[in-house]
Amino acid sequence: MGQPFVHKSPIPGLGLSAGITLSMLSLMVLLPIAGLLVQGFSAGIPAFLAAVNTPRTWAALFLSFRLSLVAALFNLVFGVVLAWVLVRYRFPFRKLLNAAVDLPFALPTAVAGIALTALYAPNGAFGQIAKDWGFKIAYTQWGILIALIFVGLPFVTRTVQPVIEEIAREVEEASATLGASRAYTLRRVIWPTLAPAALTGFALSLARAVGEYGSVIFIAGNIPLKTEIAPLLIVIKLEEYNEPGAAAIGIAMLGMSFGMLFVINAAQVFSRKRMAYV
Amino acid sequence: MSDISPSRAFRPAATEAPWARITLTIAVVAILAVLLFAPLVTVFYEALREGMGASLATLADPQSHSAIRLTLLVAAFAVPLNAVFGVAAAWFITKYSFRGKAVLITLIDIPFSVSPVVAGLCIVLTFGANSWVGSWLVAQGMPVVFAVPGIVMASMFVTFPFVARELIPVMVEQGRAGEEAALTLGASGWRVFFTVTLPNIRWALLYGVLLCNARAMGEFGAVAVVSGKIRGLTATMPITIEMLYNEYSSVAAFTLAAVLALLALVTLALKTLLEWRYADQLAATHRP
Amino acid sequence: MQIEIDEISKEFGTTAALTPVSLSIPSGALVALLGPSGSGKTTLLRILGGLEFPTAGRVLFDGADATALTVQERRAGFVFQSYALFAHMTVFENIAYGLRARPRTTRPPTAEIARRVTKLLDLIQLPDIGARYPNQLSGGQRQRVALARALAIEPRVLLLDEPFGALDARVRKDLRQGLRDIHDTTGLTTIFVTHDQDEAMELADLVVVMSMGRIEQVGRPQDIRARPASAFVRDFISA
Repeated sequence: MGQPFVHKSPIPGLGLSAGITLSMLSLMVLLPIAGLLVQGFSAGIPAFLAAVNTPRTWAALFLSFRLSLVAALFNLVFGVVLAWVLVRYRFPFRKLLNAAVDLPFALPTAVAGIALTALYAPNGAFGQIAKDWGFKIAYTQWGILIALIFVGLPFVTRTVQPVIEEIAREVEEASATLGASRAYTLRRVIWPTLAPAALTGFALSLARAVGEYGSVIFIAGNIPLKTEIAPLLIVIKLEEYNEPGAAAIGIAMLGMSFGMLFVINAAQVFSRKRMAYV
Repeated sequence: MSDISPSRAFRPAATEAPWARITLTIAVVAILAVLLFAPLVTVFYEALREGMGASLATLADPQSHSAIRLTLLVAAFAVPLNAVFGVAAAWFITKYSFRGKAVLITLIDIPFSVSPVVAGLCIVLTFGANSWVGSWLVAQGMPVVFAVPGIVMASMFVTFPFVARELIPVMVEQGRAGEEAALTLGASGWRVFFTVTLPNIRWALLYGVLLCNARAMGEFGAVAVVSGKIRGLTATMPITIEMLYNEYSSVAAFTLAAVLALLALVTLALKTLLEWRYADQLAATHRP
Repeated sequence: MQIEIDEISKEFGTTAALTPVSLSIPSGALVALLGPSGSGKTTLLRILGGLEFPTAGRVLFDGADATALTVQERRAGFVFQSYALFAHMTVFENIAYGLRARPRTTRPPTAEIARRVTKLLDLIQLPDIGARYPNQLSGGQRQRVALARALAIEPRVLLLDEPFGALDARVRKDLRQGLRDIHDTTGLTTIFVTHDQDEAMELADLVVVMSMGRIEQVGRPQDIRARPASAFVRDFISA
């Protein structure tokens, strides 16, 4: 980690602040990640690929990603509608509801995990209803899906709300004066304005869901190849003292995370260029 | 002079028809009730299933006690350390000009995009007994993994960016003028910090610390990997909840969960209060 | 199109933005609603455009009651003070918007839309900017695009809210003449709101001086100058 080139400044504290920042960053973040990479590739690339390339690993990665995608899509649609309702409509307890949207951020994942399981297990309040209809939710992929929807719920709403607040009513009025129906206005004027923020929120929701552990392992059932999520597989490998195996999956997940982070940032840069407001 | 009796009710151009508004509002509230409120209510319902007395009795259990103590201990270390880092990093990034700021900020944000289990894994692989850093530490009698320091480190990893991210936008907006003015008046560096900077950022700092604390106390995935789940020693509240739940001690598990849920609600309330009173001094209400 | 404003009043809560006002606007006239802020001129304009609903009174377009018409049905072209251009669309797409928004049955074919947009770009003397985005245009250019966009739907009346307000003095002069020219070319009934009495007097056929929700005087610029109907009008005109 090289010393960045810093312009001389009369403000004191450069050494101390830079020192604390860089040393803590290195110790707490960079070193551990390096450790992961070293361990994962310690036996060479072929061994790494062999550890990742098993049916069980692929099933877990694929399951995590697929269910996270569906959850994120639900959150995209619901999140945009929720944001719209919270910003544009007036109804009792609106402010309370707005604050409550952050609950998945604040609630510990293990707490959410057992609560959701209790709710959707065959003898739980919602699980009972499902049973009467012939469904099973807990211990199936549906249970995982609900848990992933829960943890990703606030992301789209929170990124879209500020954008909705900024929309000038005059633009909507202009669209109406030009003869466009409300539906057309929503489709052609409002949605394109919201889209970048909505997609950012979608990607954040997806990234969060892919790595989620605590909310999911109680409700998941954890059957290999069926309902076993990738993070759980890492934990299992560690319990089997298979550190290189765990590291390999960890690196695969890290790669997915960084890929999504890159997409998020690219989307934000693109939207900022296009949408510099008039 | 005529009174209007329009053939249809007037609707402002920039809004939907009333039926659409009502339907959407009801649908949204209903879905939130199912997705958000039902789980929250369940926590308390299950905790109090056998009455308040039984519930409180489980908190007196030594296992719960040590879990609560450990959680508080971990937070007592992780949160201040991350706060110090956050302030230092924000100072470094906002008061000086240098190339590579975007890279630095991206690096600081890394924990946000890493799965908590992977975070714990990184700590285990880097500081565990099988690594050369770790084996040296074990030899010194300072094991990290399967011990409290490891839990602190894992908690710090996952909450690493919280304080910095709250402070940086606020300090960017406030600029350097205040500090520079104080310097011209002869104040020393620390004096400038405590009398000019800190008062300006106190609400953003409080906000960041609040979020950091909530996450540190509630962290599960990273701690599950690092702690070894040694009862009475390295079992934090979330870990203990898992253990109790898996042993079918439902009331005990949900009671501890209820305590954490109360903490979450208090966090949300304080957060909302801060956002409402001090919106202009918080990054959260300013995000571009 | 002849416009009749019949005892229109508007209250926002307990504030009366417009006391009952009546006004006759001849077809094809270029009319200025002139007054200080708070005089109700913008409220009246918005009522004409269907963006506000009067508390009492009627609006008649060519003798027919238009009060209950929705904004979309009214075909009143509106140019907003902030122009309200669609930032994510090109100039071409902005101008074509009203035509494309029509239901399939009344929508012109694509080639026809392109032809009309090109003609309008010529009318506003900006033939080459079709592919640009609003954030790449100057204030004066945006104003003209907003005008072209409103004209594209072949409106029955053209309403402009402080059309020159956000522009600097030199640009304003050029655009004033531009508006006059367009009005003369299209023959449309055109109503604009302004607080600038020079502008109103120079441009309009008919000036409506307003204050505090009332119409103080209506007349040709030279008549108002010669015979102000009240102290307010006299002071406002000479200011």
